[in-house]
Amino acid sequence: MTEGDVMTTVAAARAGLEPYEVFRQEKDGDPMRHGGNVLAPDPELAVHYARELFGRRNESTRLWVVRRADIQVLEDPDLLDPPLDRSFKKPGGYVMRDKLAAARARAGTEKPAARAESHDRTGGRRAETK
Amino acid sequence: MTAVAEDRAVQTALAELLLTMADDEFVSGFTDSEWTGIAPLLEEDVAISSIAQDELGHARALYQLLAEVLADGRDEDALAYDREPEEYRHARLLDHARGDWADTIARRFLYELADEARLASIGAGFKPLADLVQKLRREERYHRMHVVAWIERLARGGPEPRRRLEAALRAQGLDAPTVFTPLSGEAALIEAGILTRGLTEAEGAWRADLTTILVPLGLELPPHIGPTPDGRQGHSESFRWLWGEFTSVRRSEGGVTW
Repeated sequence: MTEGDVMTTVAAARAGLEPYEVFRQEKDGDPMRHGGNVLAPDPELAVHYARELFGRRNESTRLWVVRRADIQVLEDPDLLDPPLDRSFKKPGGYVMRDKLAAARARAGTEKPAARAESHDRTGGRRAETK
Repeated sequence: MTAVAEDRAVQTALAELLLTMADDEFVSGFTDSEWTGIAPLLEEDVAISSIAQDELGHARALYQLLAEVLADGRDEDALAYDREPEEYRHARLLDHARGDWADTIARRFLYELADEARLASIGAGFKPLADLVQKLRREERYHRMHVVAWIERLARGGPEPRRRLEAALRAQGLDAPTVFTPLSGEAALIEAGILTRGLTEAEGAWRADLTTILVPLGLELPPHIGPTPDGRQGHSESFRWLWGEFTSVRRSEGGVTW
């Protein structure tokens, strides 16, 4: 095979491959974070490859594998960074933490625990154990 | 520590079973690892290398169990590396060289499904093996998914992949049943509950499994040739070459460790 033949074969082979973006989660309850991407000929093998490159050393509890062509992208500056001044939309100067602390001081109450006893750390209700 | 079989006949039969299982995984893993760096896709390079590592891990665990059963002073490294080529007891199916991608997929497919039928035949009679097999089956699920995905893609991928796959299945089909070569101590193992069925029966289950995948794809099943008593002996030139590779570091200096 000449080098030209090899390059044509490689190009043809790569034409059947599509990028799939991989999002991973370190432990249950964490947000899904973008880890990278894989090239694959179809969704089934994309999941295999995502597992190999992002999960084979027990580093993730969950992977989302999404075909890049299926991802909708919004990057239009007219929508995300419009020209007219709209700083009135931001509640600057109104710090919730300080307002709540002042309200508690007036009422004489304690700051509640970060999580209620009745719920686990992912927000799910704990099962009743009697 | 581990409850090793008391009965001498069972002990010998168990050692034979463990040796065949360990050698199968060891040789299969090393052959698969020959793709590292040159697989057809970068992602497949990682996948096949990872599968090869899994198999070597399985082999290691099986050699460790074998070392405990034999209790002759050899550890798992000695069992894996310190034998002459003719002393290995892997199935002749695994003597086939790495070949091209279709050859590897065909070999892996025939072997993976055979190994699955064998693992499904392991009973509770020797607890360390039963416990290990439970873990092995969980990892082997992924190997099966991967190889079946590739059988389907090669079969349906166009004239060239299909032609190569058919040729590979034909070339290796004759040797495929050697995974089920009868063990001399099978009766003792079944009586001790270490095997739940004989290897000939496991072979039947393997064929049924092959049928569900190959027939819908219009692919031929391996020929039915009856039990092969020497199916784990008389290894090929390509295996001798592989042996030279995987023992080269060990042989370069006796007692070498990391």
